[in-house]
Amino acid sequence: MSDASVSVQKGQYARMMVFIMRWLMPICLVLMALGFAAVEPRVLSEANLVNVATQASYLVVFAAAQMVVILTRGFDLSLGMCVSSVSVLVALVMTGIVESNPQSMTLAIFLSVSAGIVFGILVGAFNGFCVSVLRVNPFIATLGTLNICYGIASTISGGRPVFGVPREFSNLVYSGEVLGIPAPIIIASALLVIIHLILTRTVIGRGFYILGSNPRAAKVAGLPSRLYLTYAYIICSVLAAVGAMLLTARTGSGEPNLGGNITLESIAAAVIGGVSLRGGIGGIPAVLLGAVFVTVLSNGMNLTRIDGNIQMIVLGCVVIAAVFVDRIRTK
Amino acid sequence: MNSDSDQVQDTVISSPENTGEEIASSCILEMRGISKQFPGVLALDNVDFDLRRGEVHILFGENGAGKSTLINVIAGTFSPDKGTVRYDGRDLSHLTPHRARVMGISPVFQEFSLIPNLTVEENLFLGREISRAGYLRKGVMSARAAEVIEMLGFDLDPKKRVSSLSRAHQQMVEIAKALLADVRLLILDEPTASLTENETYKLFELIGRLKANGVGIIYVSHRMREIKEIGDRITVLRDGRKIETCNAADVGENELVELMTGRKIDVLFPKIDHKPTRKLLEINNLTLANHVVDDVSIYARAGEITGIAGLVGCGKSELVRAVYGLETIEEGEIVIKGERILHPRPDISLKKGACYFPSDRVAEGLALERPIRENASMAALDLADFSWMRILKKLNERKLIQGIVDRLKLRPPNIERPVGNLSGGNRQKVMLARGLTRETDVFLFDEPTVGIDVGAKVEVYELMKELVGKGAAIILVSSELPEVLHLSNRLYVMHRSKLVAELTGDEINEQAVLSCFFQDDEAKSNAGE
Amino acid sequence: MVNNNLASGHLHQKEVNQLVRAISAMGLLPIMLVVLIAALSIFEPRFLGIFNILNVLRETSFLAILAAGQMLVLIVGGFDLSVGAVVALSSTVTATVMANLLGIMPDDVGLVIFAGVAAGIGCGVAVGLVNGLCVAFLRVSPFMVTLGTLSITAGIALLLTNGIPVYGMPKVFVKSFGRALWLGLPTTVYVALALVIMVWVIQRYTVLGRYIYAIGGNLQASLVSGVSTKTYLVMAYTMCGALAAITGVLLTARVGSGQATLGGNIVMLQSIAAAVIAGVSLRGGIGRVELVTLGALFLSIVTNGMNLVRIDSKIQTIVLGIIVIIAVALEEYGNRRKIRE
Repeated sequence: MSDASVSVQKGQYARMMVFIMRWLMPICLVLMALGFAAVEPRVLSEANLVNVATQASYLVVFAAAQMVVILTRGFDLSLGMCVSSVSVLVALVMTGIVESNPQSMTLAIFLSVSAGIVFGILVGAFNGFCVSVLRVNPFIATLGTLNICYGIASTISGGRPVFGVPREFSNLVYSGEVLGIPAPIIIASALLVIIHLILTRTVIGRGFYILGSNPRAAKVAGLPSRLYLTYAYIICSVLAAVGAMLLTARTGSGEPNLGGNITLESIAAAVIGGVSLRGGIGGIPAVLLGAVFVTVLSNGMNLTRIDGNIQMIVLGCVVIAAVFVDRIRTK
Repeated sequence: MNSDSDQVQDTVISSPENTGEEIASSCILEMRGISKQFPGVLALDNVDFDLRRGEVHILFGENGAGKSTLINVIAGTFSPDKGTVRYDGRDLSHLTPHRARVMGISPVFQEFSLIPNLTVEENLFLGREISRAGYLRKGVMSARAAEVIEMLGFDLDPKKRVSSLSRAHQQMVEIAKALLADVRLLILDEPTASLTENETYKLFELIGRLKANGVGIIYVSHRMREIKEIGDRITVLRDGRKIETCNAADVGENELVELMTGRKIDVLFPKIDHKPTRKLLEINNLTLANHVVDDVSIYARAGEITGIAGLVGCGKSELVRAVYGLETIEEGEIVIKGERILHPRPDISLKKGACYFPSDRVAEGLALERPIRENASMAALDLADFSWMRILKKLNERKLIQGIVDRLKLRPPNIERPVGNLSGGNRQKVMLARGLTRETDVFLFDEPTVGIDVGAKVEVYELMKELVGKGAAIILVSSELPEVLHLSNRLYVMHRSKLVAELTGDEINEQAVLSCFFQDDEAKSNAGE
Repeated sequence: MVNNNLASGHLHQKEVNQLVRAISAMGLLPIMLVVLIAALSIFEPRFLGIFNILNVLRETSFLAILAAGQMLVLIVGGFDLSVGAVVALSSTVTATVMANLLGIMPDDVGLVIFAGVAAGIGCGVAVGLVNGLCVAFLRVSPFMVTLGTLSITAGIALLLTNGIPVYGMPKVFVKSFGRALWLGLPTTVYVALALVIMVWVIQRYTVLGRYIYAIGGNLQASLVSGVSTKTYLVMAYTMCGALAAITGVLLTARVGSGQATLGGNIVMLQSIAAAVIAGVSLRGGIGRVELVTLGALFLSIVTNGMNLVRIDSKIQTIVLGIIVIIAVALEEYGNRRKIRE
């Protein structure tokens, strides 16, 4: 009899833990926002909320990119540097074409965007090749790529920002609006929908989950693991490239240091949202939650005038905390 | 609290077999009401166990019956959720592997606790190095290691790296490691599985000496011959429960098997009507790159179960894995339905209609975090039933998988539950469902009943019967002798990477199979190896 | 005829295998090193200039210390991304402590130096301890933990200095230690040599070293054998932090100021590269400090050679990235080969 009651208690306890773990981050998010609002009422102003939404839409793209590879038990440390390279590359191509031929704005935008995306595909394919065919540990492979991208970004830019990105580009993807909704939010939403569909409705997306959950089982089940892994890294880098272009439109220049904190933030956002580092668990809703969380955190710290270096420290602590929560969650 | 411990003492005293005093004086280990829960399985359910000084106590049961959990509890690797352990009259709680060793409990696991990159000598002293102020005394340790190896009569080079040793030699290192310290309770988990007859004999001699010195030995084994030869008492476990403890001299073999499985033998294994027709799978002169399989030829026909028996590490499972391209082939050919497969790969074999069911379902079979539905449809996503232009037909998938799951009597039939929450039997059913999602007529079962309860086992056997009846070819690779003996129409026996026998009809019996293992050893020792 | 061919094919395969095994036992590194030195000596006469050689040795010393620490963590199956940031932190802390103490007690230069060095190394130990504790007790992936502490440590270093170099350390520390030559060699070489020998002794002759190998080789088996794995995991990370901090102190003495920009990600990557080139396995359990020192020498010479032939430093990072990937890919290939045999 006592046995039964103990097991019931245990069941309840376990269920409670599951419940808490599921709602922990949303609750923390609300508490954090309220906390910032108490110190600095401007946090909840309409202008700031739109601002947060816009900023989050950049981060959510990067976090989604990171998530796709984390799903496959991978990792992309080169994401930030890929962003820098694409930013510089796109700006250079665009300014180059516009300078030589000022009328061909549409062509310039089209070509530079294509160049950015092709670069993303190349970086992703390289990462994917190293991880799937050479079987280099994803950390090391992308750490190597990080340095390669850094070299590329600083070489082609000479280490200086590339100014003169035409205003038309910024008007299109930064300050443009449809029905009063800022362009970045629309573009990010479209990307999220596409990724969501890929993950939930296609054989490839299913493959990512299975590959991440148990790579050996995926092999035994006859899934083309190497191909899928490469796809994952390509999707990741292409998303990073698109995000990089959105950011370039915002700053109006190609920045070799644009990617600085993006890798860490994208990992933090993904993990905070509940994407498991052991692979196979996660999705767009999780990424959305994580991106909003990190954005609210940094926005709140900016508004309450917390030093940028302290923000770095806080972000580091948040990452460790998030990984710890992940550890408990997937136990 | 108090009343609890009183109760425990009560049960000890009122134990029917022995009087309380006897136990107190002669028992080195007493376990009462041990339970251990793992996610999805109750591995031990209220188990009592005791061990006397100077006895060999056999733990008997099928894979997954709880034997390994029990010895892990004794060795301090797991702590039990419930129950009391008394060792040498002292109450043991919060036992760690380290404390257990200090107290003279030495386990020899089947999963070796060896560090591949260290030498034999370094491994022997792992965790109890002889040192002065943190500085290793290598000379002293070398001398002592040589002494122990000499005493055991094992042919081991103490300076060799463990990673370069064969499985049998690693087993010897493991045993030497256990005996290096002052042992009072020795746990041996199928120690002879990879030893030769001669080495086994030396081990038994050693066990005899240890017994004489009052060491208590827990011995896990499947082999009737050994059990009869060295066992004093036998405890039978089934599905995490203790079924019975009896004197080894008092029970017969059939009785033991029935205790182990909980069924009359003819109820457990269905009568299968084999009607062999054409050859669906042929493996000709297959040699693997690592020579775990050496020049083996077998075939499997539609309408019969072809068994492959052999000891752990004999290459039987690698043989079928090669059909799936999971092992690197050096020479030989694989023919499925008359068509030679040059470069076997899982997806190619699947398309040809051969499906492999791995023995280690957690490591190789299932994506535990993902739902049953996704696990079942995993290998069939390329079919038109499941996808169109790489876009999943989810509704169709749900319908088809639900149908298969219902047919396999998966309980509960909710296909959206993560596989990680299921019991061993249900996990195996999810694996089987995978074979039913596409046209499959060659079924390669690798230890299909490891870690599943008897009920599920019967259902798996029934499914095999049904499949064979419909004209499928089944290859059954199993270390459980009764299983292959009762189910196979033809039985191949493998030993040390070679095929040593093909038995049919009345030839299929335990004696014949076991003699295959030992013939080879004798031949070798005669050859002066 | 056919049989003959087959036989000779087998023989050939056998010879190749033997060659591969011989090379993998010794490592490709010494050969590559000799080739590299020979090539540079022939094509770039400035390489053998005494000033250049001292320079290479100095760079090698910094890297060898750092890589030895990284190696210890790699052997236990971990990773330390924070070493670069620890270099920065220990540099700023050492300089800040020294500069401030010198103002208070200008006469006790010895004490000031001691306090500064101790504070710097203390920071490294603290970061290493945090890394180790998180990995051992929270069982969080070492990669993520050290990524987090990388951010935290770099943040603290920047916070302390606002990104401005810290001057005002005792002159003795810089002139007679950091930039001095003893018996014709830079002081850092002696420090590095002492530390490498210390790690070598630990690896070969102590229980600590044995357990570090054991944990990386098979964590579960070590645990079952009664090794208190958590303690030794923490110790490996702590030693790594301490060694990184010592590198930071040496660099500070060399540069003459505390800078939050010392170290950084390039240094971290170099430490991993040096270790991996020297055959340290990312799966843990394998790695020898004497080889890692050779790896550091190799990388320093590669960098030096690229400087001499005027390859842009930005392109050098690309080369470094590629070297790391190739080294790991080769190790991975060797592993698979071994498993097949």
